[in-house]
Amino acid sequence: MARPWIGYACAAGAALLCTLIGLAMAPRFDIVNIAMVYLLAVVVIALRFSRGAAILSSVLCVAAFDFMFVPPQSTFTVEDVQYLLTFAIMLAVALVISGLMASGRRQAEARAALMLEAETERIRSTLLASISHDLRTPLAVMTGASSSLAEGGERLSPAERTALAQSIYGQARDMSEQVAKVLQMTRLETGGIALDRDWAAIPEIAGSVLARLSERLAHHRLMVDFPADLPLVRVDTTLIDQALANLVENAARHTPAGTVVRVRGQCRGSELVVSVEDFGIGIDDHDIEHVFEKFHHGASAGAGRGVGLGLAICRAIVQLHQGKAWAERLPGGGTAFRFTLPVDEAPLPPSEAESA
Amino acid sequence: MTEARATILVIEDAPEIRRFLRSSLGAEGYKVVESSTARRGLIDAATHKPDLAVVDLGLPDFDGLDVIRRIREWSPMPILVLSARAQERAKIDALDAGADDYVTKPFGIGELLARVRAALRHAVRIGSGKNNLTLEDAIIDIEARKATRGGKEVHLTPIEFRIIACLAKHLGMVVTHRQLLSEVWGPTHLADTHYLRIYMKQLRDKLEIDPVRPRHFVTETGVGYRLVADDEST
Repeated sequence: MARPWIGYACAAGAALLCTLIGLAMAPRFDIVNIAMVYLLAVVVIALRFSRGAAILSSVLCVAAFDFMFVPPQSTFTVEDVQYLLTFAIMLAVALVISGLMASGRRQAEARAALMLEAETERIRSTLLASISHDLRTPLAVMTGASSSLAEGGERLSPAERTALAQSIYGQARDMSEQVAKVLQMTRLETGGIALDRDWAAIPEIAGSVLARLSERLAHHRLMVDFPADLPLVRVDTTLIDQALANLVENAARHTPAGTVVRVRGQCRGSELVVSVEDFGIGIDDHDIEHVFEKFHHGASAGAGRGVGLGLAICRAIVQLHQGKAWAERLPGGGTAFRFTLPVDEAPLPPSEAESA
Repeated sequence: MTEARATILVIEDAPEIRRFLRSSLGAEGYKVVESSTARRGLIDAATHKPDLAVVDLGLPDFDGLDVIRRIREWSPMPILVLSARAQERAKIDALDAGADDYVTKPFGIGELLARVRAALRHAVRIGSGKNNLTLEDAIIDIEARKATRGGKEVHLTPIEFRIIACLAKHLGMVVTHRQLLSEVWGPTHLADTHYLRIYMKQLRDKLEIDPVRPRHFVTETGVGYRLVADDEST
């Protein structure tokens, strides 16, 4: 508990409140019932606050009860011995309840710590599992193919040699991208990235993403849709380029050849919505909710899966920009992956003074 | 001097990277001089008088940036830098210090050779007085400030011509935002990147066949722009 004095103050307040209630009750109720009111206060304080506050509460309640109501009134003297039992019970109730609560709290804390540890462990083991799956396979290909070239290259036909070299090249490129993703995710999670914001045009970023991924998109039909008056945004261009590239890559990876991938931007109020829509088989409710999480692999993810960080990186980047990222099902079976970016006030446009 | 017999100085500390650069550049007909440290590289630059230098930004003895600045003190030779991924800042600093282009590690040899060719071509072209640019169906005469597309005149504003002229001076190579802003609008506008965003869109709308997927006014995200013309071989 951050501020223990609050508990003590409440204990004192509760004793005072009970005394007032007791005074109101006194003409009509038996003194035992007034004791019950005090007992209730002790229970409440013991439930909500520390052991110290509970003990204070029971002492104050006993004292107030004794002083105000137990004959002879206005003294701390006790005529009837049975009231000593009342006092003892109040103290015992305070101790028992606050003891129970404290151990409950300790257990909850221990459970939370355990869960955190388990989550860290789960992430670590998923990371290791995906590294061993996603990096060891390409490493095996590279080792095998390059050793064939190095040790028996002259016995192979030129076409076979080229094919082997190309497979090493492809696997190495892939692997270096995966490693970059793992590093990037780590950097994003440890807060090691400071945004380098500058005015940017989303269609321009999209153009360079699509050019870079043209090989990856060669078998998809691409549609690009940006209104001419889309406002500029103040973002870290390199990071937003990455966020969008990860969405496009995800669409290319998980939808069949020949289907449409549509990249679009819309302005909605003070937000710009960037979407990558695909017309693949779609994903189920569970995946819609979790698809942006680290290491999430959808039910339909087949051999073409990556490390499972692309969308998580996208979301982390977008969140750094005070935007949000989500997936939604499209009518007809596709999926839209969208993110928003805040639109600031437009900068002063350049003026062209000279006449052309 | 013809391109094919050009001498290329490679200043790179990783021997495995030097090895594949040596064999691939050698196979293209270039003469390769290798230096594994910045100090050695500066000496080799002075003694071998290479036509182009490839400089790694992560050298062990001193900063690749210093190598670029020192070479620039006495030579306009094209300089290509090799930088690691996620080093946008370092790339921009190198370009602003006088490097002509960059390649990000890991790179395929095709990408590097394309940059080498563009840079050597650029070195040859300086002073050749060629002013006509061909961008598919568009032809731009920078000197006469005339542009046509499919034979019809296209109206370009004076600023648009200035941007094209600045990019064309480094044809095929990257020009940083800072360089463009300073050359077109002057040194008080170095932070006005939005000017570039607005003008590049205009230029693409006027001169590109598909403005959203430009082939000539190419964006180098986070760094600058690159003008790619059809007649790269002239």
